[in-house]
Amino acid sequence: MFSSVFSGAGFWDAGVWLLMFVFVGGYAFGIRRMGRSDYKKGTDQDEVYYSGNVMPDVDVFTVPASSSYWGFREALKGYYSRLSAMHTGIATEYVGWFVLTAAVILVLVIV
Amino acid sequence: MISANLPYFVFAVLFLIGLLGALLETNLIKIGIAIDVMESAANMFIIVLGYRNGGYIPVKFLMPEGVTNFVLPTPQALTLTAIVIALATSALMLSLIVMLYRHYGTLDVREIRRLRG
Amino acid sequence: MNLMNHLPALALAVPLLAAFATPLVAAISPKARNIWVTCVSALVSLIVFGILYRVLTMGTQIYVMGAPSWNISLPSGFAIPVRIILEVDAFNALVAFIASLSALAGAVYGLKFVRKFTGLEFYSALYFLLTAGTLGMIMTGDLFNFFVFLEISSVASFGLIAFWRDRPEAVEASYKYMLVSQLAAQLVLVALAFIYGRYGVLNMAAFSTVVQPDLISKVVLVFLLVALAMKCGSFPMHMWMPDAYAEAPASVTVLLVAMSQASLVVLCRFCFSIYGTAMGTAVIPWTLIVLGCASMFGGVSMAVVQHEVKRLMGYHSVSQVGYMLTAFGVGLLALGDKTAMDGFGLTAVAGGIYHMINYILYKGLLFLCAGALYMAAGSRDLDKMGGLARKMPVTSALFLIAAAAISGLPPFNGFVSKWMIYESVYAVHPILMVVALVSSVLTLASFVKVYQTAFLGPERPQFAETHEVPRAMIAGMCVLAVAILVLSLFPSWTVNTLVRPAAEALVNKASYGAAVMGGAL
Repeated sequence: MFSSVFSGAGFWDAGVWLLMFVFVGGYAFGIRRMGRSDYKKGTDQDEVYYSGNVMPDVDVFTVPASSSYWGFREALKGYYSRLSAMHTGIATEYVGWFVLTAAVILVLVIV
Repeated sequence: MISANLPYFVFAVLFLIGLLGALLETNLIKIGIAIDVMESAANMFIIVLGYRNGGYIPVKFLMPEGVTNFVLPTPQALTLTAIVIALATSALMLSLIVMLYRHYGTLDVREIRRLRG
Repeated sequence: MNLMNHLPALALAVPLLAAFATPLVAAISPKARNIWVTCVSALVSLIVFGILYRVLTMGTQIYVMGAPSWNISLPSGFAIPVRIILEVDAFNALVAFIASLSALAGAVYGLKFVRKFTGLEFYSALYFLLTAGTLGMIMTGDLFNFFVFLEISSVASFGLIAFWRDRPEAVEASYKYMLVSQLAAQLVLVALAFIYGRYGVLNMAAFSTVVQPDLISKVVLVFLLVALAMKCGSFPMHMWMPDAYAEAPASVTVLLVAMSQASLVVLCRFCFSIYGTAMGTAVIPWTLIVLGCASMFGGVSMAVVQHEVKRLMGYHSVSQVGYMLTAFGVGLLALGDKTAMDGFGLTAVAGGIYHMINYILYKGLLFLCAGALYMAAGSRDLDKMGGLARKMPVTSALFLIAAAAISGLPPFNGFVSKWMIYESVYAVHPILMVVALVSSVLTLASFVKVYQTAFLGPERPQFAETHEVPRAMIAGMCVLAVAILVLSLFPSWTVNTLVRPAAEALVNKASYGAAVMGGAL
């Protein structure tokens, strides 16, 4: 029951992974405990580091979901503009994609 | 060859009419009618497959004595089921169209696209 | 009368009868309806578990509807089977059991989640019809019976997707799904008519013994493949999936996921057990592989930029189905060739099957957690959520399990199935493995985004009174979470006892035919 799953090239064992996770987690926790706890709360040792910029003065400081992965989306702007243009939302175009796929595969199979 | 296969050509033409209607029409009710035409074409195709030339109806006690030439009964059973299914889905499609009209105020399929992207 | 022989028929009859009896029971009181729904769903899961146990110990089970005895498939003097025959082998039984578990989870979750309208007994009736339709699609051995169950589950799902009918988007999503689904169903009907006209058989096993690789058979396979791939949600025809999965109530979406996998089960039946080596063309496996790769990458790249939770998960469904289509395509490529089959083919098919059952479980759990977020936050938009882990700790822990499983992080079951798929797909061409790995990375990226924006972060003032979701919903989520953890912590037991027999049953076309035809070919 607790043995490994073998594939042609290697093996996977959940028990070995969990054991390794415990060891590495213990090591990481040990490193954390070596840190200093004598910082002064409320002074500038406690501030958020915002890459050298000034922190905006808001109550709740979050990154909304619509602006996450902005760099990824900018880099693939051409791909995304074409892909989003494909998803128009018109019902008859859904049917059109279906018929197009069926026609292409039919032609490829028969010819 | 054409006259012997005429029902199959009619089926193909009807099915393509229904398919083109579902693709190119913009009024929701016309799309529903086109789907209905497609379903009727498929049902007609199944019935036609069972026909045998000069065959009697496939009911044992209604056939004269010594007759072995009858049309196949299985496609008739399949078609009855398919007709009922087509009826149920057409009814559901029409009720969805009524609700869409109440919500959106239009029957144009190009306007009903709040879910996109 | 040995009840164990009649289990396949009971697994279909119990939900069907319960569906029609639900309005009568609900007339007594709402609590009676809740107890009825829970008990019947648990009974269905128990029945399907009995079928799975019997199949794993005794081989492929058949059940002949309406015969004097349950296993007279060829009455005396007949050369082809004449009644509707249910044929359950290791592959069917496994997927049916996981589907019944997800139906149980969704039913228990829906007790407290679906509360807005008064006609809730009709919701439960449609839910049981959808369960019956899904189980019927998985377990049937007859072609026209498959069409009937396909339409039963489709019509039930049209009604359930439009359940919150005061939202215009829900009705729109149901209409769009209905349009494409009806077209696919008509193509399936025409394909079945072609089969009947050409070969004269309607039974899947009998068809597998007589099929020849001629033009009509290839056209039939193309029609069935395109229609069933659309029901699974593969790339060019997937656009209904995010709409329908987002607008349906979360408990219904769990069962829609199971229904899409039921269509994939039948697709594998057609490709492996019925056609098999009589396919006659290498275009079909490569079509599955190309559709799979396009679904994998297109689905997840659309998912990364969404900001509505369930729509994002709907796009992920497209991507996960791509994994399965690629795996089954690779398995089909290796089908006639013994060395390729031993080398990567059987691992590919086993990886695809394992991914199917993992997908039903973790996708169901993800949708249930998204429903819990909707109930707590009042909206599905991620821009408006934040800091909910303090208020909903159980939901966030379960979401973390499901998100780690879908991203393929060890030690969860998603990792094992994806690893099997990567290793076998690499043997065909390395580019396929690259696409699969990139899709996994993007999946992880999008779920990190969802977890961080919805659960982590500072506490928002508008969620000050939010509390954990009701216990019935937690119970439904825990059913799926326990199944995920069992499959994760005992992967070798799962692979050796459940998945490999299923893969071997799937690729063994001769035994599929012989179970019904009696071995006299």
